[in-house]
Amino acid sequence: MKSENEIIDDFTAREYEFGFVTDIEMDVLPPGLNEEVIHFLSAKKEEPQWLLDWRLKSYEAFKRQKMPKWQNFEAPDVDFQDISYYAAPKDKPKYESLDEVDPELLETFEKLGIPLNEQKALAGVAVDAVFDSVSIGTTYKDELRKLGIIFCSMSEAVKEHPELVKKYLGTVVPPNDNIYASLNSAVFSDGSFVYIPEGVRCPMELSTYFRINSQNTGQFERTLIVAEKGSYVSYLEGCTAPRRDENQLHAAVVELIAMEDAEIKYSTVQNWFPGDNEGKGGIYNFVTKRGICKGNNSKISWTQVETGSSITWKYPSVILKGDNSSGEFYSVAVTKNHQIADTGTKMNHIGKNTKSRIISKGISAGKSQNSYRGLVQIGNRAQNARNFTQCDSLLIGNKCGAHTFPYIESKNKSAMLEHEATTSKIGEDQIFYLNQRGIDPEQAVALIVNGYAKEVLNQLPMEFAVEARKLLSLTLEGSVG
Amino acid sequence: MLAQVDTDFQEQITNTFEDLSNGVFSSEPESLQNWRKEAFSAFMDLGFPTIKNEDWKYTNVKPYLKSNFTIIPNLQEIQNGIPAKTENFFGKELSAYTVYVVNGKINFEKSNVPDTNSVRIQEISESYATDGFLSRLKCKRDYSINPFLALNNALFTQGIYIEVEKNFQLDKPIHLVHLSDLDQEYFQLAKNVVIARQGSHFELIESVENTGHNNFFRNASTEILVEPNATFNHYKLQKGSENIRMVEHTEVEQQADSQYNNYTFTFPGYQFVRNNLNLALTGSNIESHMYGLYLTGGKQLVDNHTLVDHQQPHCESNQLYKGIMMDKSRAVFNGKVYVHPIAQITNAFQQNNNILFSDNASVYSKPQLEIFADDVKCSHGSTIGQLDPEALFYLRARGISESEGRSLLVNAFAFDVAEKIENPEIRELLENEISKTMTGVEY
Repeated sequence: MKSENEIIDDFTAREYEFGFVTDIEMDVLPPGLNEEVIHFLSAKKEEPQWLLDWRLKSYEAFKRQKMPKWQNFEAPDVDFQDISYYAAPKDKPKYESLDEVDPELLETFEKLGIPLNEQKALAGVAVDAVFDSVSIGTTYKDELRKLGIIFCSMSEAVKEHPELVKKYLGTVVPPNDNIYASLNSAVFSDGSFVYIPEGVRCPMELSTYFRINSQNTGQFERTLIVAEKGSYVSYLEGCTAPRRDENQLHAAVVELIAMEDAEIKYSTVQNWFPGDNEGKGGIYNFVTKRGICKGNNSKISWTQVETGSSITWKYPSVILKGDNSSGEFYSVAVTKNHQIADTGTKMNHIGKNTKSRIISKGISAGKSQNSYRGLVQIGNRAQNARNFTQCDSLLIGNKCGAHTFPYIESKNKSAMLEHEATTSKIGEDQIFYLNQRGIDPEQAVALIVNGYAKEVLNQLPMEFAVEARKLLSLTLEGSVG
Repeated sequence: MLAQVDTDFQEQITNTFEDLSNGVFSSEPESLQNWRKEAFSAFMDLGFPTIKNEDWKYTNVKPYLKSNFTIIPNLQEIQNGIPAKTENFFGKELSAYTVYVVNGKINFEKSNVPDTNSVRIQEISESYATDGFLSRLKCKRDYSINPFLALNNALFTQGIYIEVEKNFQLDKPIHLVHLSDLDQEYFQLAKNVVIARQGSHFELIESVENTGHNNFFRNASTEILVEPNATFNHYKLQKGSENIRMVEHTEVEQQADSQYNNYTFTFPGYQFVRNNLNLALTGSNIESHMYGLYLTGGKQLVDNHTLVDHQQPHCESNQLYKGIMMDKSRAVFNGKVYVHPIAQITNAFQQNNNILFSDNASVYSKPQLEIFADDVKCSHGSTIGQLDPEALFYLRARGISESEGRSLLVNAFAFDVAEKIENPEIRELLENEISKTMTGVEY
């Protein structure tokens, strides 16, 4: 049996398994950011004038803003002029079925363990795979179309459903929300657009795989999901990235809009390149995700499993505007080596009888820093608002840190808020108990961690839950604290 | 340029510092002079805190600084007589060694100082040469979290020095009563130092009252050293005139095997109170408890900030703050626990419970943990809610009036804090005060 130190070394030294580069010619814009780049981008995508104006307005907002300083880590110096703002596979292929897709591309997905074809048949998942900035193939489109569901890339939506995009784009995350949201609004390349009409329950999990490939290309995805009255949708997002030496910036914006009685479930599994053992390289994941429960009785639920990126900095939030609406946030964040995670949520209670539930599980190992930062705000008209927050941290080794920064604000006397947090390590007695029953320490840790994160993993849809469990065991096995 | 205050007050600050540097400060020990200079330049850089400062996010001091304040009042006006109305200060019925500090000076005539050589109570200005005072100058201070402390360190001229000798146990608590009755709008800068020598055991109570009709801003700081095996219970009773605005900074250094307990009780009265309580746990086997109860009313703003710095292994810290907000009052709680990498086997707990009694009241709670060691047990909890209507119904069904029922329930809510008070008289005082405050409150 390995000694404790060996096991820890083993674990901390584990290399990123999905580090490889696909060799496909790219149509890349030279690095740099100015108005011309935005004009070029917009022209390339054949966008209408209003969108170009909107991008330019966002760029103005971006120029005005300063880098925030409140975060619990040293923000890296991102040189926005050193990033190329457009990259697309040359001659975008237009296939009817996935069989015609470039085999090399399919192989990439295969290596990542995303058998598109298999998924198509098995799980009934419609996959809109985003390879860098342009979507390659969209499946199950016809079936969705019959129900009136729109599930397409953002650029397609701009062309085919401009009235919907114009109506909702930037209404939840305004272009001047924060510096990265402004940047995204100015230069977003592509993303997904989902529209569920009134009373429709989306029959399958909608899913997109984001992947960063071209060197020095920040990916600026824009996702917009609108669920009309009484509809339901579950959306999955998963990420892996090839190994790189230079830091890559990912500044996406996700907007969710739930009308009366609608429900949106948004799940993320993120496993981007976290940098090597020295913390070099790795993705900066600076994402603005926000949903609004616009109508009464609506519901938005965020679930995230964060294991990758050198810096994860995001707060998926819910604005609870409609009466009786509810927001949920379930998160597992794992950091090791020199990774940093500063993540959490914001629940903004505005309507009456609004409910929110926050479950956050942080696991830090190696020399990593893991922070939970959350805001629960009860406005003075939010009668009988209810919040429950639990954020637990698990420390593995004594070189890492776990931090909790909850902000709890109430202006209504009938509101009830609860917040609790604990920090501890994996109990030696727990390991011992499992050892006694013939389970080796590595498996024991995997079991305990999976049990610790179970509350969150249970929220994931079936297909994702399996992947997430595997990911957790993989990243954490052998880490006896 | 200092934000938040007008140019007159700014000029007064700079002029006062220059005058004092050339005057009384020049005869002070060099280390103190340097300390003052450093603090003053830090203050000039920082200015008064704005809401952009994370530690002052919910507390805008600007309206409380808006007055025609005088930092150093005309010395002739400082009388040593106790103002007539002082009979009414909060906590006067407690049996203790009552020490009256009138306008910053001890009135020995009226005070009841312990009759022993083992306890030293004197003016701070006469204590600059003592070991205890000089040892405090060696501590590094992070002024960015509280610029008021920088201003205080730069300019204080008054305050009290208390030292309790090795292994001495005092039979009754010392009660410091800070009184002011000036005709001017007074911006008081006071520095207290308390040294609990090895193995000593004593209690200190502090009350603040202003009997003058003018606005009074108290910017006070207390430096405390608790030596090995000493036990020090520190009570702050905060209730008094509505023209009082107060920033109290308490900096505690605890050495191995010591115990420090802080109890802070705030009732309706003072317009604005900010309590900063910083504990540095520099040895092993230290125990620290912080208990707070804030019952706020009117347009009051009560802000409690704590910071517990676990620097060594095998220590335990415990925070319990409970609040009831009424009328248009606001309350802020910000607790921070910091555990250094070497501080293994640390137990740190933090709890903050709040009840909102009015739709116009608000509460901001921010319990923080920053942990760098793995073998620790740290937890925090925070709740905001209201009285249980079923519990109230239960009481009313048994013939208890609504207001009495509420008073009972609030007392029960506060019981967790009250039961921790070692001094039975203070516990009784607190319980009575809660009942009195809650009677007739509209819900």
